[in-house]
Amino acid sequence: MSPMRRLENIVLTVLTLMAALVWIFPLYWGFLTSIRSEENAAGSVSILPDEFQLKAYLDAIFNTKLMLWYVNSIGTATIVTVLVILISMLCAYALSQIRFPGRRLLYGLVLGSFMVPGQTLVVTQFILMKDLNLINTWAGIILPQLIAPIVIIVYKQFFDGVPKEMREAVVLDGGGEYTILFKVFLPLNWGITTAMSIVTFIGVWNAFFWPFLVVTSEDMMTVPVGITQVNDAFGIHYARLMAVAMLAAMPVILAYVIFQRRVTDAIMISSGVKG
Amino acid sequence: MGVRLTNVAKTFGSFHALRDVSMEIPTGSFAVFVGPSGCGKSTLLRMIAGLEETSGGEIVIDDRDVTAVEPAERQVAMVFQNYALYPHLSVFENMAFSLRLARRPKEEVNRRVQEAARILQLGEHLPKKPSQLSGGQRQRVAIGRAIVRQPKVFLFDEPLSNLDAELRVQMRLELTRLHRQLGATMIYVTHDQVEAMTLADLIFVLKGGVVQQAGAPLALYDDPDNRFVAGFIGSPSMNFLPTVIAAREGHRVTLQLEGSEHAFTADLSGQAAVGQAVEIGVRPEHFRIGGAGLPVQVEVAEELGDVSYLYARTASGREIVVQRQGSRDRLDGQTVQLSAEPRHVLVFDGEGRRLR
Repeated sequence: MSPMRRLENIVLTVLTLMAALVWIFPLYWGFLTSIRSEENAAGSVSILPDEFQLKAYLDAIFNTKLMLWYVNSIGTATIVTVLVILISMLCAYALSQIRFPGRRLLYGLVLGSFMVPGQTLVVTQFILMKDLNLINTWAGIILPQLIAPIVIIVYKQFFDGVPKEMREAVVLDGGGEYTILFKVFLPLNWGITTAMSIVTFIGVWNAFFWPFLVVTSEDMMTVPVGITQVNDAFGIHYARLMAVAMLAAMPVILAYVIFQRRVTDAIMISSGVKG
Repeated sequence: MGVRLTNVAKTFGSFHALRDVSMEIPTGSFAVFVGPSGCGKSTLLRMIAGLEETSGGEIVIDDRDVTAVEPAERQVAMVFQNYALYPHLSVFENMAFSLRLARRPKEEVNRRVQEAARILQLGEHLPKKPSQLSGGQRQRVAIGRAIVRQPKVFLFDEPLSNLDAELRVQMRLELTRLHRQLGATMIYVTHDQVEAMTLADLIFVLKGGVVQQAGAPLALYDDPDNRFVAGFIGSPSMNFLPTVIAAREGHRVTLQLEGSEHAFTADLSGQAAVGQAVEIGVRPEHFRIGGAGLPVQVEVAEELGDVSYLYARTASGREIVVQRQGSRDRLDGQTVQLSAEPRHVLVFDGEGRRLR
């Protein structure tokens, strides 16, 4: 490696590290605050841990409905993820592999739905959920989140890229559409399904706006919505607030740490950087 | 009869990919569809497989009309140009795939896969994934996948095109052996006339969606029905020269070359009028050098040891290829005289039809 190149590498590394620090610092600060005593939490400006206690966490767990919100979040996020993957995959498969009248128009609609901001649909969706008596239910949280054009597009691109002989080989081997999709196409690249599942799960886990609207009962809230209630319940108690925030963010942080590469892939796939 | 097609046609919109194709392929024969790209040979194969619907006509396999039968029910197996192996499955599972779909008993699956692996010498590769195999091995797996199904007809769609030259020759021999061993009907599509000549019992030459001629390889080589078949079969290609019938005595006709004093003679029993413009065709190996004949200037001589190819030009600028056996005299840049025996001079009319 030439000295110029080496210098370039060092500069880039330092810059990346600095950017990473900027990103990580709020998380770190939140964690520091959460392990301080309530009296110290707002006042201390030390960037090193000056005390360590879990009182705020115990408060958060036992004096709020956080555990219930966890169940709601995990339940709805899992169901949405499974359904989004299944529905989008089947939709993409049909658009990509099956010749039927109106196919292009349908795909056009899927692409077009990108141009409609989700917020504009909120009122009609809310009225619809109300008419269906789904306010304050899991179904109410789940149903509007099942529309995921990006997942359809990513799957369609993937299916389009599979050589047509692969499909024909299965047809000649006696397989139908089910065999083609589930026994050949999907196993060709489980990475796509993993990536789409991660992106969807994280998206639903973090979703705030819709669950905030459709749920009014504290028992049905998801974690991000529930956090707003903690503020009310505790007044401004920074340590406890941060403890709840830490616990709320934990599954996503864990997902990032465990599936680091997959998450990066997922973001690149769904943003079109990588096919 | 192994496969019989009657007036089979295929249209894509207003484009006629195949017109009124009729043929009979006897059980156990090795038939080859050959022709330039876009001639409809692959479409025809895919129609026999059931992967393309017919726009007309009838397809019969083993005396059963399969025109409207699903691909999997036609008792055919296909080997694709790009192998189309399932990359996530082992070689064993690739070969067992169709049997598992048909819910065959485990021991039968095992037996049939092992048998196919033995025939194709794939035994040691059974646990491997396709990505761990060479091109030739992958092609053998694709063939193995066809063998385990014990089809009535094997269909090959340019299966050797992705292999290098040496491997192609080797696989050609293996396919011939396999055909003898299995005795099954095989239909093979290629654009390579050498593959067609070496593999086939029966060649169908296609152009523009029409079968130009069908027959045994040497029959097509020696006795082509038209100019296209004459030019397509044989490498290097037949030489064609424009002539006029200058005289006729019984069967013997004198063919005066355009823009030259020289004439060739040929034998024609059918109608051919003096003064008719025709084209003659002479294979490179049928030219004799020396004596009285058509003078040509040798531009390049390719010496291959046992044989050499002379790339020459007539006075009127027509390219001529001459094949010489044995002789190693350097002829580059020299002018030589070419002649040919009447029986080696083929005559074609203005539409490219052979005059006999």
